[in-house]
Parts: sequence; structure tokens; C-alpha cells
Amino acid sequence: MEEFKLKFIANFITDDRWKYFTNGLGTTYIVSFFAIVLGVVIGVLIAVVRSTADTVERPPLVVKLLNMICKLYLTVIRGTPAMIQLLIMYYIIFGSVDVSKRLVAILTFGINSGAYVAEIIRSGIMSVDQGQFEAGRSLGLSYVQTMWYIIIPQAFKNVLPALGNEFITLLKETSICGYIALTDVTHGANTVRSQTYEPYMPLLGAALIYLISVSVLSALVTRMERRLRVNER
Amino acid sequence: MNADGQVLFEIRGLCKSFGNTLVLDHIDAEIRKGEVVVIIGPSGSGKSTFLRSLNLLEMPTGGQILFEGKDITDPKANLNVYRQKIGMVFQHFNLFANKTILDNMTLAPIKVLKKSKAQAEEEAMRLLKRVGLEEKAGAYPAQLSGGQKQRIAIVRSLCMHPDVMLFDEPTSALDPEMVGEVLAVMRDLAHEGMTMVIVTHEMGFAREVGSRVLFVDEGKIKEENTPAAFFDQPKNPRLVEFLSKVI
Repeated sequence: MEEFKLKFIANFITDDRWKYFTNGLGTTYIVSFFAIVLGVVIGVLIAVVRSTADTVERPPLVVKLLNMICKLYLTVIRGTPAMIQLLIMYYIIFGSVDVSKRLVAILTFGINSGAYVAEIIRSGIMSVDQGQFEAGRSLGLSYVQTMWYIIIPQAFKNVLPALGNEFITLLKETSICGYIALTDVTHGANTVRSQTYEPYMPLLGAALIYLISVSVLSALVTRMERRLRVNER
Repeated sequence: MNADGQVLFEIRGLCKSFGNTLVLDHIDAEIRKGEVVVIIGPSGSGKSTFLRSLNLLEMPTGGQILFEGKDITDPKANLNVYRQKIGMVFQHFNLFANKTILDNMTLAPIKVLKKSKAQAEEEAMRLLKRVGLEEKAGAYPAQLSGGQKQRIAIVRSLCMHPDVMLFDEPTSALDPEMVGEVLAVMRDLAHEGMTMVIVTHEMGFAREVGSRVLFVDEGKIKEENTPAAFFDQPKNPRLVEFLSKVI
């Protein structure tokens, strides 16, 4: 017990090492949150383009063109590791400009997640009864209005469990931030380990932090699911 | 129920094919203001496709549809403008599942007609009262019976003040004891002079309320007449056979 206490002090108290964890946690949360938001925005846009191209009888040329761009995006993003994307974003795309590493991480993970969210939302849009769409159009609502007020809310509700899964994956995926020397929880814990030569406490501590964060996130998603299910009573 | 009003729909040589199957085969028809036109026919005859073509939920592959004198099949036509004036009631109700009854009814008036929320809600409540469902304003569609849903669907369309209402088998998905309540609402509408085009299997209703009955078979209008003549002296052999099966 005495030994545990000493190790705890060495890893978390001495030299304010706890700051590695708290600052890292801040970064992890900020990057995850904005990446999720960015991912959902990108995902919804792509899902709408893709499902429009698939369901409309004679899609306009713009839609066909956008659909091709979306498919290319999906192929590239889903076909390469997130870590390579992060490195490319940092060393190539923003290689010659001085830009916040957090911003680089948000963009990378947002763009990455957008590809997965797009396919999830698209499956949700496809699962909404075609009659809902026809009812909207027959009342004079435009295509976009029908999508926005009728189809997407229902699609979103249908795929919320899958989306929650994607958010959890994203939160954990941000643990590769250290590769561009951005201090998130993982990088912070690893730094402490290299200073104290003591792997157990910092790494298990980081793991615990992720576990708690993911539990909270999935509890939030469950609560949202329950709230959206009101109209099924 | 005067049949001498202005022409609302003028349909010329309307064709629709799905792949190689010709579903509508050069249909010519006219629908006048104040008429209640009932369309009957065997399943797969094209009667629903015909109805759905009238507000372009099905895009015709040939011919023209003039609505109030304007060609709505013109690719440059703004469909949203026409569809506001053409109400549609579906077999499966198609109430917006994510919205309350009141929101179902006010969404289009607010977003399309740019009415204020208060104004749209006041009118919606008035219409709900008319069909005896004002206490359901805050409910979601999933909490209603089929008959209630269909009555809501009808008044949801009325909120847009359409010039004509299309009914696509409005009672076919209902339990038998709920058919009456929906037909009662439709009967009221007809008596008020609403122009209606109804695809249905309710022959008694067609005879009672219709001002004209069309028999559609194999993508063509095979016979059309006043209800009395249509049901009492059918001429087309396919119609005679059809009537003998359903009545």
C-alpha cells in the first residue's frame, strides 16, 4: 500500500504531472467534440447527395457530379488509415503553414469520421418509408425542405445506435494525436511514463480515463435515443 | 356538384411506362371544377398510377397534363407551386411520423405558404374540430387508429386550401369499422363542392357521391359515365365482368 502511494505521487503529483492528464483530456475532448460535429455535417451532406443520386429518376448533372466526388471521397478516406491521414494533413497539407495542431487533428478526424457517418446516415435515409417523402412533396414542400424537416430527423433516429458507435470509435481514435506531438490523454500518459520509467500507473490511468469517457458518451447517446423515441409510444 | 365548371385538369395522350411495361396507354380525360370523379378498376390496371401522375408523383413518359390551363409536365414548370393546389391522400396515410398531429398540419402552411405559426395552428385546430379530433393535436401519428390517421391526412391536405383533392384508395388499408368515418369526411367535402378524384373499391360510395365514374383497365379508360348508368347499364364486357365480381 505504501508503495502504491509512492508511485501514485511520482506519477501524478510530482512536478504537477497530473497536468499532462488534465491538459491531455482537454485536448482529447475538444478534438473529439468538434470532429464529431464536423463529421456529422459532412456526413449528412454526403448522405443527401448520395441518396438523391440513387433515388431520383433523372438526377440533374450537378447531383451526378457531386455524387462522383462523394464516392471518391468515401473510397479514399475509408481506404487509408486515419494515422496516415493525420500525418499527411500535418506534414503535407499544412506542412508549410503554422497552424494549431488541435485544428489539424479536428479537421483530420472530422473528415475521416464524415465518411463513416455518411454511410450510416444514408442507410437511415433509405430506411425511411418512401410515403413520407411523397406526402411532403404532395403538400408543396420542396425536395430540400422534405429532406430537412421529415426524412433526416427520422433517418437520424433510426441510425442513432450506429452513430453512437461511430462517436465512440472516433473518441478512441484521437489517441493517435501524439504522432503530430499533440498532447492528448495518450500522449500525456506516455510522456509521464517516459519520465518516471513506470508504465503501469500512467497507462492504466489513461485507459481508465477513456473507459469513463466512453461510458459517459454512450450514456448520452442512450438518453438521446430514449428522448427521440417519444413519438413511437 | 355542378359538372359545368371550368376545366381543372386536361389530360392529353398521357403515357407512363416502367421499363418495357406500358402502364398508362394514351389516356385522354378532363376533370372539371366541382366534380367528384371516381376511378375504379382491377389491381394493376394503372388507376393509381394515373392518379399519382396528376400531381407528378409519377413522371409521365408521354403526353401532357394541363392544370388550370398550364402544362405541368413541362420540365421548366415549378412543381412545388402546382402541388400546393393539389391535395393528396394516400392509402397508407403517410402522416409525418416524427411530428405531432398539429405539426403535421402546420408544417406546409408555415414553410410553403409562409403563414405565421399562430395563424396556421388556429386553422389546423378549426379543421381538427371539424373531424372531431381536436384532442389529438399533441399526439403522434403512431398513437392514432387508422381511421383517425386518415381523417388527419385529409384535413392536413385541406390546410393548404387545394383546388382539387386526390384520394389514392383512402380506405383500403383500414379495418372495416373505420371505413365509415373516413368516407363521412369525404362525403362532407364533396357536398361542400370540393373537386375530388378518388381511386377506390367502395362501389356504394362511388355510386352515392360520384358525379362521374371511370373504369380503368390495361392502362386505358375503358368506360366512363354517370354513376347510375355506369353501375346499372355497364357496356364494356371487362367492366361487366369486373362489376359482377365486386358487387
